[in-house]
Amino acid sequence: MLHLLKIEWLKVKNYKAFWIFIILYLFAILGINYIGFYINEVAVESMPASKVILGTPYAFPKVWQTVGFMSSWLLYFPGILFIMLLTNEFNFKTHRQNIIDGWTRQQFITVKFVFALLFSLAATVFNFLVALLFGLITTGSHFSFAGMENVIYIFIQTVAYITFAMFLAILFRKSGAAIAVFFLYGLIFEWLITLLVNMKFNLSPIGYFLPLQVTDVMLPIPFGNKVIYKDAPDVWIMVIASLVYIAGYYFFAIKKFTKEDL
Amino acid sequence: MPILTVENLSKSYGRIQALKNVSFSVPEGTVFGILGPNGSGKTTTLGTITDILKPTSGTYKLFGEPSSAESRRKIGTLLETPNFYHYLSGIKNLEIAAEIKQHGKEDIDRVLETVDLTRRKDSKFSTYSLGMKQRLAIASCLLGSPSVLIFDEPTNGLDPVGIAEIRELMKKLYREGKTIIMASHLLDEVEKVCTDVAILKRGELIVSGKVNEILSKEDMVEVAAKDHQKLLEILNNLAEKIRVVDDNNMIKIFFPVGKADLSEINSYCFNNGVALNHLTLKKQSLEARFFELTNN
Repeated sequence: MLHLLKIEWLKVKNYKAFWIFIILYLFAILGINYIGFYINEVAVESMPASKVILGTPYAFPKVWQTVGFMSSWLLYFPGILFIMLLTNEFNFKTHRQNIIDGWTRQQFITVKFVFALLFSLAATVFNFLVALLFGLITTGSHFSFAGMENVIYIFIQTVAYITFAMFLAILFRKSGAAIAVFFLYGLIFEWLITLLVNMKFNLSPIGYFLPLQVTDVMLPIPFGNKVIYKDAPDVWIMVIASLVYIAGYYFFAIKKFTKEDL
Repeated sequence: MPILTVENLSKSYGRIQALKNVSFSVPEGTVFGILGPNGSGKTTTLGTITDILKPTSGTYKLFGEPSSAESRRKIGTLLETPNFYHYLSGIKNLEIAAEIKQHGKEDIDRVLETVDLTRRKDSKFSTYSLGMKQRLAIASCLLGSPSVLIFDEPTNGLDPVGIAEIRELMKKLYREGKTIIMASHLLDEVEKVCTDVAILKRGELIVSGKVNEILSKEDMVEVAAKDHQKLLEILNNLAEKIRVVDDNNMIKIFFPVGKADLSEINSYCFNNGVALNHLTLKKQSLEARFFELTNN
C-alpha cells in the first residue's frame, strides 16, 4: 500500500491546482471560523442578552463542535478536489494506463480511497489546531478535553463528504456532471427530502439518514440544536450509519470499476 | 510457447459486435501485425488482452497463463492514445509509469534518448505536439526493456522522419529477440515491419499467418471466353498459377511476380479448345490484395 500511495503522491506532488485548492481550503477554514468568532463577539457585546441563546460557542469545550459545524460548510471544497482527481484520470485515460502498466483495478480504487482517508486526517488535524487556537483566544476559556469526540466526528464527516463526491465522480465520469449533482444535491435536494420526509410525511427520523445529512446531524449547530434536530437518533447511530455509507461508496466503486470496461 | 493465445474472443458493445470468435496466437520473437480497416476490432482485441475491456466470451493467455497485473508489468503497451497526466512533465510521467511497472528511475534517461525527447523532458505533457506525445508513449513502453511490446497504431501523428525512426526502432527490437504485437490500418507498415499478420474485418478474423505468405505480391491476368465454364475448367490445370478466381464474366488468374506469360496462356487455352476474347496482365498492388482479402 505504501508503494501505491507513493505513486498517488507522484501524481499530485507537482499538480499546482491541487496545492492551490488546499491552501485556499485551509485559509477558508480559518476564515469561516473567524467570521463566526467575530459575529459572536459583536453580538454578545452589543446585546449581552444574546449570550443566553448563543452560549459560548468558541470557548472550551463547545469550540470543538463549533469549529466542526462551521468548517462542515466548506466540505464541498475537498469534495470537488477529489472529483477533479478522479475525473482527471478518466479524461487523461490514465486510469486505463495505470492498469495497462500493471496495477490491478482494485488497487486503483483502493489507493484513491486510502488517499482520501489520509487527506481527511490532515484536514481534521488542521481543524483541531484551529479549534485549539480559537478556544485559547476566547477570554475566560480554559483548555479542556471535554467534547473532543467532535474531532472524531469532523474526521468521519470529512471522509463521508469526500467519498460521496468520489462516488459521484465514478458514477458520472465527467467533472461537470459530478460537481453539479454534488452541489445541487447537498445544498438543496437533500434538505428538501429531509424536510418532506421528516416534517410533511412525519416519517422522522428516516430523513436524517440521507448520505450527507447523517453526518450533519453528528455535528449540529452549536446552539439551538434542540429545535433543528429535535428528534434525531443518538449520535452513535449516526456514526454507524455514516460508516456504512462510506463502506458502501467503496464497494460500489470497486464493483463498478472491476466489472466494467474502462 | 506462444506469447499470446487468443481463443474464441467475442466482444459486444450493446448490439454492436466488435469481435466475433477471434482466435490466433502470437509466437515468441515475431513482429505480429493486427491489420484491418478502422473499426475492425484491432484496439478492442488489444484492449481485451490488457484488461481494459472485458470480453463477452472467450479466453486469452499471456505467457501461457491467464493474464494478471504481473504479466502486464512485463509488457510495454501503447493502447490507442498516449495516456499521460497533462499537468506533469514528460519525465515526471515516466517516473509514475516506472513506479507502477516496479522499475527504478535509472531507465528513464535511456528511453527518452531512444525516442529523441531528452531536450523536452521537463516540458509539460500538455505542451507536446501529437508526435511528441506518441514518442513519449513509446518511451514509456520501453521502460525496463520488456520482452513483449504492444503497439496500437505506433506511427500515429508522427512526421515521415518520425515514422521511419519508429519503424527502424521496431526492427531493432525485433533483432534483439523481442516480441512485438502491433495494430495498424496501414498495410504498407505491416508489410515493412511485421513477420506475421492477422487480418481483421468487422470483428472477424479473415486470415492469419506469415506476412510473406499472406501479403505476397502477385501478378494477375484477366481472361475471358465465350465458353466461361470450359475456360474455368481448363485453367485449373494451368502451370505456375497460384489460384484462379471466377469474377462474373471475367476470370482472374494469379501468378507469382514475373511468372505470368501471356502468350503461353493464350496457346494453352487454344490447345485445350478455348479461344480467348480477352487477355490482359495487371500488376496487383498490395492494396488490391488487401481489398481482395477484406472484401470476401
